[in-house]
Amino acid sequence: MFVILVLLQALLMDHIVLFGSAVCFIFIYFLIKLPVNLSANVVLTLGFLLGLSVDVLSDTPGLNSLCCTILASLKRPVFFAYEQHDDQKRNVAPAIETMGFFNFCKYIFSIAAIYCLLVFFVEFIEFSNIGEILIKAAASTLFTFLVMLAIDSLIYKN
Amino acid sequence: MRNLLNFIIKYSTWFVFTFYVLISCILLVKSSDNHFSLYVSSANAIGGVIYRTSSEVTDYFGLLSVNQRLQESNAKLENEVLNLRNQLAQYKVLAQDTTGAIRSHRFGYIGASVINNSVRHPRNHFTIDRGSADGVNPGMGVVDQSGVVGIVDVTGKNTARVISLLNQNQHFSAKIKDTPYVGSLTWRGEDPSVAFLEEVPRHARFHIGDTIVTSGFSTTFPEGIDIGTVMGKVKTTDDTFLVLKIRLASNFKTLGTVRVIKDALKQELDSIRNIGAYE
Repeated sequence: MFVILVLLQALLMDHIVLFGSAVCFIFIYFLIKLPVNLSANVVLTLGFLLGLSVDVLSDTPGLNSLCCTILASLKRPVFFAYEQHDDQKRNVAPAIETMGFFNFCKYIFSIAAIYCLLVFFVEFIEFSNIGEILIKAAASTLFTFLVMLAIDSLIYKN
Repeated sequence: MRNLLNFIIKYSTWFVFTFYVLISCILLVKSSDNHFSLYVSSANAIGGVIYRTSSEVTDYFGLLSVNQRLQESNAKLENEVLNLRNQLAQYKVLAQDTTGAIRSHRFGYIGASVINNSVRHPRNHFTIDRGSADGVNPGMGVVDQSGVVGIVDVTGKNTARVISLLNQNQHFSAKIKDTPYVGSLTWRGEDPSVAFLEEVPRHARFHIGDTIVTSGFSTTFPEGIDIGTVMGKVKTTDDTFLVLKIRLASNFKTLGTVRVIKDALKQELDSIRNIGAYE
């Protein structure tokens, strides 16, 4: 999944820019699907490696690895903002079946929003004004969210 | 010692987090001009293989437009050959200049294909399928059939990363064709077909539609390669310089085949320039 998502991002998603501002960061789906009780160090390491792989292929050294590391550290708090501390749900990957449709949507939407804000702030802070950054981030959040939801329902059809 | 170990284990997550953030920040800040950057750019071995394979597949979709553009440039070149033949015939009559030999062979070209490209970042790069094994070196200029597209910055063995003209950190020396007015060409983001020619002297005369070409002041590009055309003047508060809006000649969204420019005099000129620095 790691390799497929990184390749999908570098070969396909990086070249699709809707309305001049919306970009899809599909690879963070990998972080979203990591089980919640996985050790924090492992999550951070996987997040960093994920970002680094995307960086290497799309020539943005440091950008995605920084944002992915931060996102990996925020994943747990975001998950528990919508879910009760329940031992049964901890061992499995977050999914519609275990969380319910709306909670799962809220969870991946928040993750996408955090990531898009981070990426566009880090990359464009020197060059654009806040308004443009926010528009880009909002459009990309929506795009990323919809694509991730689509992919999720394709994989877990039954 | 034991306390120290316990402390490290207890707060290991923080250490790991800080470590990764630090590495990322270092990469972010020192993104170019170091040896390490070869390994974290698309010019490395793995990136090269992946993008070569993918461009072998996707190249087919662009064949029609590539063909069209090739035919156009072919026609242009044929015209040029005819003109040059006429000129040559005229010059043969004149006395021979023995120093002319090196001048005519000063610039050579290495053909290459673009295998990965981006236009959405503020600092864009693209990757080509030629590297140090083919004689490509950092600092060489890159053009396509319409005009200037970038400068090589990192070379792998068989691939190289090129700083696109659409990169806010890279400036190109350019001038209005057939005039001495030189300025600095900069891309300001957003539109991949528009750039700005800054620091043009206030008294420079220009018309909308005038061609902007390379100045030839560096060893990167020979003089007179197309960059774009003037779209108009931009209002500024600066009284001493003009800023012109330029429509770029090349279509950066569909870069296909490019040529890397090799300057036979580069080493010589660079070493001459360095002599002054030691004084």
